[in-house]
Amino acid sequence: MVDTLVKAGPAVSAGPALARRRPRDARGALLIWAFAGPALLVYAGFVLLPVVLAAVYSFFNWNGLSELDRFIGFDNYVRAITDPVFQNAIVHNLAIVALSLLVQGPLAILLALLLNRPLRGRTLIRTLIFVPYVLSEVVAGLSFKLLLPPDGPVDSLLTALGWAGDKPNWLADPDFAFWTLFVVLTWKYLGFAIILMLAGLQGVPEELGEAAAIDGASWWQIQRHITLPLLGPTIRIWAFLSVIGSLQLFDMVRILTNGGPVNATATMATYMVDYGNGRGQVGYGSAVAVILFVISLVIALLYQRFVLRRDLAGAITRGT
Amino acid sequence: MMNTRSMRKYLAVGAAAAVTLGALSGCTPGGDDDGKTTITWWHNGTGEPLLGFWEDVAAEFEADHPDVDVVVQAYQNEELQRTLIPNQLRTGAGLDLFQQWGAGELAAQVEAGYVMDISDQVSSEVDALGGVVAPWQVDGKTYGLPFNFGIEGFWYNKDLFAQAGITETPTTLDELNDAVQSLKEADITPIAVGAGDKWPAAHYWYNFALKSCSPEVLQEAQVSYDFSDPCFVDAGDLLEEFIASEPFQEGFLATSAQQGAGSSAGMLATGNAAMELMGHWNPGQMGGILQEETGSAEATPPEFLGWFNFPAIDGAQGDPTAALGGGDGFSCSAWAPPECVELMQYISSVDVQTRFGELGAGVPVTPGSEAGIADPNLQQVLEGLQSSSYVQLWLDTAYGPTVGGAMNDGIVALFGGQGSSKDIVEAMKNAAATL
Amino acid sequence: MTTHAPLAGRRKVDAGLPFVYLVALVIVGVTIAPVVYVVIGGFRTTGQINADPGGWPDPWVLDKYAGVFSNPNFWTQFLNSSIVALLTTAGVVLLGVMAAFVIARYSFRGRNVLFSLFTAGLLFPLTVAVLPLFTMLRGLGLLGSLAAVIIPQIAFALPTTIIILVPFLRAIPAELEDAAMIDGTNRFGFFWRVLLPLSWPGLITVGVLAFVASWNAYLLPLLLLGNPATATLPVGVQYFSTAYSQDTAGVLAFTSVAMIPALLFFTLAQRRIVGGLSGAVKG
Repeated sequence: MVDTLVKAGPAVSAGPALARRRPRDARGALLIWAFAGPALLVYAGFVLLPVVLAAVYSFFNWNGLSELDRFIGFDNYVRAITDPVFQNAIVHNLAIVALSLLVQGPLAILLALLLNRPLRGRTLIRTLIFVPYVLSEVVAGLSFKLLLPPDGPVDSLLTALGWAGDKPNWLADPDFAFWTLFVVLTWKYLGFAIILMLAGLQGVPEELGEAAAIDGASWWQIQRHITLPLLGPTIRIWAFLSVIGSLQLFDMVRILTNGGPVNATATMATYMVDYGNGRGQVGYGSAVAVILFVISLVIALLYQRFVLRRDLAGAITRGT
Repeated sequence: MMNTRSMRKYLAVGAAAAVTLGALSGCTPGGDDDGKTTITWWHNGTGEPLLGFWEDVAAEFEADHPDVDVVVQAYQNEELQRTLIPNQLRTGAGLDLFQQWGAGELAAQVEAGYVMDISDQVSSEVDALGGVVAPWQVDGKTYGLPFNFGIEGFWYNKDLFAQAGITETPTTLDELNDAVQSLKEADITPIAVGAGDKWPAAHYWYNFALKSCSPEVLQEAQVSYDFSDPCFVDAGDLLEEFIASEPFQEGFLATSAQQGAGSSAGMLATGNAAMELMGHWNPGQMGGILQEETGSAEATPPEFLGWFNFPAIDGAQGDPTAALGGGDGFSCSAWAPPECVELMQYISSVDVQTRFGELGAGVPVTPGSEAGIADPNLQQVLEGLQSSSYVQLWLDTAYGPTVGGAMNDGIVALFGGQGSSKDIVEAMKNAAATL
Repeated sequence: MTTHAPLAGRRKVDAGLPFVYLVALVIVGVTIAPVVYVVIGGFRTTGQINADPGGWPDPWVLDKYAGVFSNPNFWTQFLNSSIVALLTTAGVVLLGVMAAFVIARYSFRGRNVLFSLFTAGLLFPLTVAVLPLFTMLRGLGLLGSLAAVIIPQIAFALPTTIIILVPFLRAIPAELEDAAMIDGTNRFGFFWRVLLPLSWPGLITVGVLAFVASWNAYLLPLLLLGNPATATLPVGVQYFSTAYSQDTAGVLAFTSVAMIPALLFFTLAQRRIVGGLSGAVKG
């Protein structure tokens, strides 16, 4: 089941226990499309069509209201790619992708390993850890915006913990704002990662580790050679979700810093909304959106090819 | 049998969903209700005294027009101007009377067909108001009426100035720099600027441009977007020098202009900074912030508040008596009911304008209402307005959102230590080219 | 030799169990502290907060919370969020399970293309579609109505839903279907009577995910609903926070009330959410 989920690619694998039915009559085919039709219609009309339209608009200089008649070819794309603010926005997105994978991932795995044992209040702990994920990014962002002003609650706490001097302006200092953003994002999404890893760990048989321990393996060796590889599919799912989410980041940034100060936390999405909606430059905003899509697509395809391949190749095929 | 029951349940849910969905698609906010006309009115006076004032005006209008329902709503200034009004106008419904800053922004809205042409209905008001109505007109037609107009200057704390040993308000840029020095030596934050909202920082560049460029160049730029005159680069150079003298508060890049005690207005109001370059609505803003801070509904703009004009710059080419200014007005959307215009005229009436003047939240424009201005600082602003030879509208309003937005971005980058004076003009030219 | 040799790690853990509890405490503390702060902050006045940002309410003030609950905008936004979330969830689950059903269990021409089409949707950020959606919906006259948010949300939630449901549905044994056929029901009957009840856990999982995503959505309602007086709760909270920025305590109160529905829902459904995700992951 894990592999099926993970192979979110073109091929739908054959479930071993199920022989698929070919509808033997026209009425059967009709029924098939009656079932799939509504979903396909809604999806095509409100996902596929807008994406195609975005691509179309991107070649025009358009404010969304007048006639769509000022064709300018690739000018919007050139403008976006040569705008240092947009370049920085891309860098910010990629940095968040990398940081999430390098920081949140190992941290979540470590914590999941630590917490994966009979603990009193285990359900309560798991529930509480998951709370930030359930809150909207808006609410989370607002909460931190109220916690982080100079001499606010966080600063008071730091003073109480012993940091006496002036603290940096977490949200206002261009050197710090980005890191503050990442810390808030980690707060929001680490719990989700931990829960996911914990779930994956349920599928790792204890006996394997015990056997290795008898043979003299250390805790670290057990994790490295047994637990982690078996946790692989889970890690790969989480990583995929994390990467895609990081590339599309909007809500949190908009609320916390609105891309500032001086664009220090701008992301592709905030840049797009800023120009496309805020300044009415729909054509330009669409070009930015298409660039965002292309980057997501490339990364996803690379991911599929290099990372998920391993699941397809020699992985343990679990039964359904 | 369970499955039949669940099937009926699914069908029922599905039917209900379909019906609700259908009903909802027809559902749009606003509109008429039992024969009563509704006017949806948005303004930026989120704090007192303006909040209560506009509510009173709305109630009075309703009393006089029993078949009209006025729904008045205040929103934060930046969100109102940049997001809420443009988005709502684009939907073509749901907004009738809205705050209007005029000039380039208005021109963009008129071109899109969002604004009602009220030239016929308000001809007598236009005659009375005279020149100040110009920003609310496009191609000779009137699209709105102002209720507030003034020029910009430095609001300052007389007590803090005295503490730093400054005896006279600066009249030249050199004197201003000296004052900044004295304040720093007295360990007082010289100037608060709300660069987080971009436009407060940009106003410094506007003023430098005003003092560096001749009125002809400025007027031409507003019409043809011609920024080739080197004076525009000079403005940036002057600004760069000024920023380099570090006159601002810490963290100015993220400080807002008006939101709470941590904003630049808040800092001035609570005595945490000595000066702020700001428009004539500032006392009203500060009063609102103080009310929330102290919890007292009676809090008023601070006693220590004073005002002086933006200093002249020796050797600059601009007209030394020119002033940067602007105001607020209201416009009716193209689909608003005719009563919207009547409401606008009521707001513009001498009675309401005089009471507006008494609030100390701004400078009224209707002739005859000046009597209401009680705040001596605002009286000074009015004098400054009346004695200036040329009033240039805020440049971002004048040039419209596309060029104005690019301009503000470039200026804020300069504040952040990035970019150069030339980059600002480049950005403006590039933005203008896309229009 | 012990027959039940403890895990080397476990031996370490028994000694380090207090350490683990400490770690858990720290994690939970850091996780919950901001939430607690916001909720408690609503019981103070702005003056209190400015004087002592990290302090306890003294005295406890109910006005701010009362202000939120008596704010008609809040209830309108709450109602809108509820309607949008419920209808989105209903739509997503219904359309999703129908499509996943045929993709999972039947082979037909275009099935692979169909599935790929849906999975590709994971890569389409909402941000890409937002501007054209705006123009489209305005042309359809739906802008400003709740349908403007509901229908696109359903559309964008379909990929995840279908991807999660396909393995679930495939797992239902073919023999059941054969038996149903022999009994004389058609495929539709099998779908209604046998498959749906059996796939209930999967449906709940996707339903809950769709509900939470819809309830927390910000970008779509921001751009497509606009007017805060008639928007959904996240949009409303943001506008409240800026319109009343001077009233820090009031903003804290509004924010914490905005949290309550999500938290309540989560508490009730947490077993399902966490369990459902676990199920999806481990198979």
